[in-house]
Amino acid sequence: MSTATATNSKAASKAAPPALAASSKFKTFATTFSIAGPVVYCVTQYFNWPLFTYHPATGRLVWGYEAARPGEGPNMLWYGWIVTTLLIAAALGLTAMMLPERISKKIPLALVWIFPILAIPYVIYSLMPWWTHP
Amino acid sequence: MAGLVSTNTFWSLWLLVHLILAVGLLGALTHQAMAVALPVRRPAGGIVTRFRAVPAAGYATAVCVLWVLTFLVGSYIYTKYRIYVRIPLEQTGRNKTVGFFDFKEHVAAIGLTLLPAYWYFWKNAQNPEYDNARKGVTLVLAVMCWFLFIVGHVLNNTRGFAS
Repeated sequence: MSTATATNSKAASKAAPPALAASSKFKTFATTFSIAGPVVYCVTQYFNWPLFTYHPATGRLVWGYEAARPGEGPNMLWYGWIVTTLLIAAALGLTAMMLPERISKKIPLALVWIFPILAIPYVIYSLMPWWTHP
Repeated sequence: MAGLVSTNTFWSLWLLVHLILAVGLLGALTHQAMAVALPVRRPAGGIVTRFRAVPAAGYATAVCVLWVLTFLVGSYIYTKYRIYVRIPLEQTGRNKTVGFFDFKEHVAAIGLTLLPAYWYFWKNAQNPEYDNARKGVTLVLAVMCWFLFIVGHVLNNTRGFAS
């Protein structure tokens, strides 16, 4: 009986990858997008660059940042931060696709999981008012 | 939906949909993380071994779809949270609870950005070049998913379903 049966993650996927996954250009886009994503999100949140602000009580949507207005309830920036992040990360991914393959293949793949881990301490720090509020 | 169910029921149903999607995502990612962290060499064994012995690569697209769907439904109900849940929590001094929800929203957004590389690594699971990156990103996403689930669950207990 074989001990290398199709039970672990690698052996379970002997099938050829789909066309998109076989593309080196897509690899460059995907890895750059995912490496840039956590960094761009933290930067976007730190500098407060929402693409738009949503006011849920009134349903009002405005470009960029707008503070909560008296009598109109809270503002929501998270949606705007996400769209800003996705656009910038996608732009960086598309830019990376234009690089020669000898350069793009040097992108360290480990950054895909290292950057989100590094982002967590910043996120905790950015929420300090909630932790220290009496 | 007007007239069919009350506003409260409407949003509670969406919260339930969010929960069901999250349970599916949590199960798929946990199976996959276990399979990648502790790969099984022999197919038989106890329940833990069988839990690890799943064809992990087959989960990748489902995990991406479930993450996005859970994220979209969560984003939809977030507007009601902001007004009907967060404001009362702030007024009653539950600042750490609010802080943890904000932490959750950031983690969910960061996790979303990891999906393209995660999907690519899994769709090329036969390529040993991606083994470490695939393992790392899968474990990160699994830990994130457990964190999101637990915070959501605790928040729901604080002021959530049908409140």
